[in-house]
Amino acid sequence: MAPLDNTSGVWKSGRGKGRKTPKGRQLDDQAHSDILALLGDRPRNRDLLIEFLHLVQDKFGHISASHIRALAEELRTGQAEIYEVASFYAHFDVVREGEAPPPALTIRVCDSLSCEMAGAEQLKKALEEGMDPAQVRVLRAPCMGRCDTAPVLEIGHNHIDHATVEKVEAAIAADDTHAHLPAYETYQDYAANGGYAVLKDLRANGDWEAVQEKVLSAGLRGLGGAGFPSGKKWGFVRMNEGPRYLAVNGDEGEPGTFKDRYYLERTPHVFLEGMLIAAWAVEAEKAFIYMRDEYPAVLEILRREIAALEEAGIVEPGYIDLRRGAGAYICGEESAMIESIEGKRGEPRHRPPFVAQVGIFGRPTLVHNVETLYWITKINREGPECLNAVEKNGRKGLRSYSVSGRVKNPGVHLLPAGSTILDVIEAAGGMVDGHAFKAYQPGGPSSGLLPAHMDDIPLDFDTLQPHGSFIGSAAVVVLSDQDSARDAALNMLRFFEDESCGQCTPCRVGCEKAVKLMQAEKWDQSLLEELSSAMVDASICGLGQAAPNPIRLTMKHFPEEV
Amino acid sequence: MSKQVTFTLDGEQVTAEAGLTIWEVANGRGLKIPHLCHKPQPGYRPDGNCRACMVEIEGERTLAASCIREPAEGMVVTTNNARATSARKMVMELLVADQPAQDVAHDKSSHLWDMAELNGVSESRFPKLEEGHIPLLDDSHVAMNVNLDACISCGLCVRACREVQVNDVIGMAGRGHNAYPTFDIVLLCGLRRMRAGLPDRRADARHRGGRRAGRGSCRF
Repeated sequence: MAPLDNTSGVWKSGRGKGRKTPKGRQLDDQAHSDILALLGDRPRNRDLLIEFLHLVQDKFGHISASHIRALAEELRTGQAEIYEVASFYAHFDVVREGEAPPPALTIRVCDSLSCEMAGAEQLKKALEEGMDPAQVRVLRAPCMGRCDTAPVLEIGHNHIDHATVEKVEAAIAADDTHAHLPAYETYQDYAANGGYAVLKDLRANGDWEAVQEKVLSAGLRGLGGAGFPSGKKWGFVRMNEGPRYLAVNGDEGEPGTFKDRYYLERTPHVFLEGMLIAAWAVEAEKAFIYMRDEYPAVLEILRREIAALEEAGIVEPGYIDLRRGAGAYICGEESAMIESIEGKRGEPRHRPPFVAQVGIFGRPTLVHNVETLYWITKINREGPECLNAVEKNGRKGLRSYSVSGRVKNPGVHLLPAGSTILDVIEAAGGMVDGHAFKAYQPGGPSSGLLPAHMDDIPLDFDTLQPHGSFIGSAAVVVLSDQDSARDAALNMLRFFEDESCGQCTPCRVGCEKAVKLMQAEKWDQSLLEELSSAMVDASICGLGQAAPNPIRLTMKHFPEEV
Repeated sequence: MSKQVTFTLDGEQVTAEAGLTIWEVANGRGLKIPHLCHKPQPGYRPDGNCRACMVEIEGERTLAASCIREPAEGMVVTTNNARATSARKMVMELLVADQPAQDVAHDKSSHLWDMAELNGVSESRFPKLEEGHIPLLDDSHVAMNVNLDACISCGLCVRACREVQVNDVIGMAGRGHNAYPTFDIVLLCGLRRMRAGLPDRRADARHRGGRRAGRGSCRF
């Protein structure tokens, strides 16, 4: 016992006997040395908080109160600030004093639309019944971006496609809980095929405005879903004085979407070169890549290939800052992503100001989606014709449709941007035998649900708006006569309820009330409509503004079900 | 002479000092736009999250929170049309759904009920949260007593603690409809007399037979 422990208090507070320690939770020596060992010589920057929380979660399987206290000590910040961040993200398990830590192994079963249609609910139930809760915990989780192999689950960080209880048991028995890396094009392969020649040439004697003009003429628009003309963004960001940043939005969380993962797991350098071209164009001081934690294989590929780029001298060490998400769909909203990059809760910011003016650390920030950058490289290497030469139904360009649901050949299908749902289904091998086409989600739950008879609309930017929908990230889920539109809409609203950040009332409370109203035998349609307009008008960001789309479209097109 | 902006507020030409928000300008003219997360006191940063003060700005796709929005020259702002009033009313109705009824409320004369009245809302058509969803009473420390069933998760207490008192012991934990304020080391500070839209804790402290904890100023 230390000598001071026996004496009367040293922390005098005026009256009484005082206290032996400062107020509050005391720094635990063991926890502090754990944190020191984990953090090593990393800079104690507040914006790295989420990275540090990952270190603790990965090592101990949870984040204890004493580790939060020790992290607060190292980062010179309040424990409340760390707790509020840790408790925001689904992949952190905060354990307070007296609480039991979670079991060593976690299974996350995807319950988003395509997986639910493929029997995720029964799978989760079977797992819960078959597993020892002291050893394994089974959780539901939102879309993991593997809808083409539904149902899907994740054991530790190992994703099991077409999951069954037997496959899970086999993986547990083999201790197979880490991500499997697919074969992909490495730096050597890419460079040998002329990769990075364009970047080097541009850096040596390029004119950013000419490149921007080329991108504009290709007709490239933001493929994260918003569809902002990519050829205009650079100028907007450059209008603001530096230092400027680039942030890549790799938080591909819109259920049904897996195109970014598709490209990253095959040709990561096409994306990386595009990113460096954009960074060059706006003279970015640093390029952040925000990659969702649901893609552990992609994270590992990027870690390796960024190291290869540093070694090859293409970027300065540390120029590319890879940040790992922690399980929050809302961080796909660009300002929420920026908050998360700054190590905070992923709560969207108010506009104005726009992130092109005030972004990461208050600096002008260029935000691009992964696939958009993939096309930046293609346009520069192959010319704008690679996009603008394709024309169908009066629409120009190509689109990577992530197709899942009741089709024979689900997956990413690169088709003309003017394709209709019938073209998409045809490309995906047609409907599964015994299923008749009934409805489709054109671009994630935010786009709602359309009936089969609306089959002549080109699935492109601007074409779906008149119908109360939009293309978003082109996450097409095909429903058949064996699926219920009502259940699909409820699945979508449950997703929004879980993923709402909770900042604004219309979305936080609105999604929760909508789910309750939609569980009723008969929907209170007039109240749901009133609620929908308030959510659209008064929510801070796109999540709350788009969440009513499935409600409204289901009431409109499938009235017999509600 | 500071810079001025001229804009239209409910059909009237208004000239105001630049840098004021729409809410402040309206308030200065005697027009009370409902507000919950915004506390019009020095040092309190308006946050625009509760969406109780929404107004329409011509040419904008969605409504805007008047407490954080500064009028621009020539802007046309409407506070009293059907779109704005029904959105504000809906926000109140959503919040009131999970509040204890006013006659049994912890604080029957709270700011929340004043604002509900201003919107003409006294009850809600929405189903309530599941029983047991809200941690009913957080009295995890002798110096703390918070009725979370009266909380509207507006974060005013967090801003008061972090930005006004600069104690940084209150945070907003959780996500979505599980987002509630969480308390770290509770200090005996002036904050405890701040009511942050929450019910009167002094009454609760008296009820528990304790001293009026929280009197006096912050000791740190």
